[in-house]
Amino acid sequence: MAGDYALRGLAVPESLDRLHELFERVRTDWPDIDEVDLSMFETAIVEIHGNVVEHGHPPGQVIYAFELEVHPDRIVGVLADTGSAVPDLSSIDEGLPDDLAENGRGLWLAKATLDELDYVRVGDRNTWRLVRNRTGATTRA
Amino acid sequence: MEIEKSYQDGDVAVLRLVGRLNMVAAPRLKSDIDQTVAEGRPRIVVDLSEVSFMDSSGLGALIAGLKKSRQASGDLRITGVTQQVATVLQLTNLDKVLRAHPSVEAATDGW
Repeated sequence: MAGDYALRGLAVPESLDRLHELFERVRTDWPDIDEVDLSMFETAIVEIHGNVVEHGHPPGQVIYAFELEVHPDRIVGVLADTGSAVPDLSSIDEGLPDDLAENGRGLWLAKATLDELDYVRVGDRNTWRLVRNRTGATTRA
Repeated sequence: MEIEKSYQDGDVAVLRLVGRLNMVAAPRLKSDIDQTVAEGRPRIVVDLSEVSFMDSSGLGALIAGLKKSRQASGDLRITGVTQQVATVLQLTNLDKVLRAHPSVEAATDGW
């Protein structure tokens, strides 16, 4: 049975706290989820949402919606936002910046923590789909 | 996130972070490190044992602090790395640049 969680609001720095609080609820509701799986999924969504908060247009007015499902074999999240611009995805393919660079790792890190990361722009919405397979899922099935 | 600053052996600054080191907290950490270096204490230990979560902004603040301290002939070392922080460091290949020390005392070894 999937566990469903949803958030919606303005993409502002404070919304990161709401995302973290959602993951605290997931931890409580699903104590058997491997902590690495959940914390890496949390890392990915915070990076992508942080990108929306920092670069979304118009600043402070972008609305986001996040939904999370916990399945026996995977964790699936969908993050949509009303930002008017297509995000710069080049860092995902370009790889990591120099060791002493102070930024440019966020989306790459999000991709590295997941099994699937897809982005599409449909109409006036940016939509990200995140999937992380759960550790040990095949042995439990 | 809270930042508690203390001093060891007179001129080694220990910054103990409590909470989440994300894009909200990172500018404050960067500012605190800058201030510590400006005070004439470029040898800094950042204790992450109470940091439950770090994102790439937090990583950026640590890198900025590392550069700032080295420019002043000091260094920045980390300790108390939790699972999520360790994995973020490994995935970004920065575990060699920001090497985790097992304790504050070990981090200050040689200073």
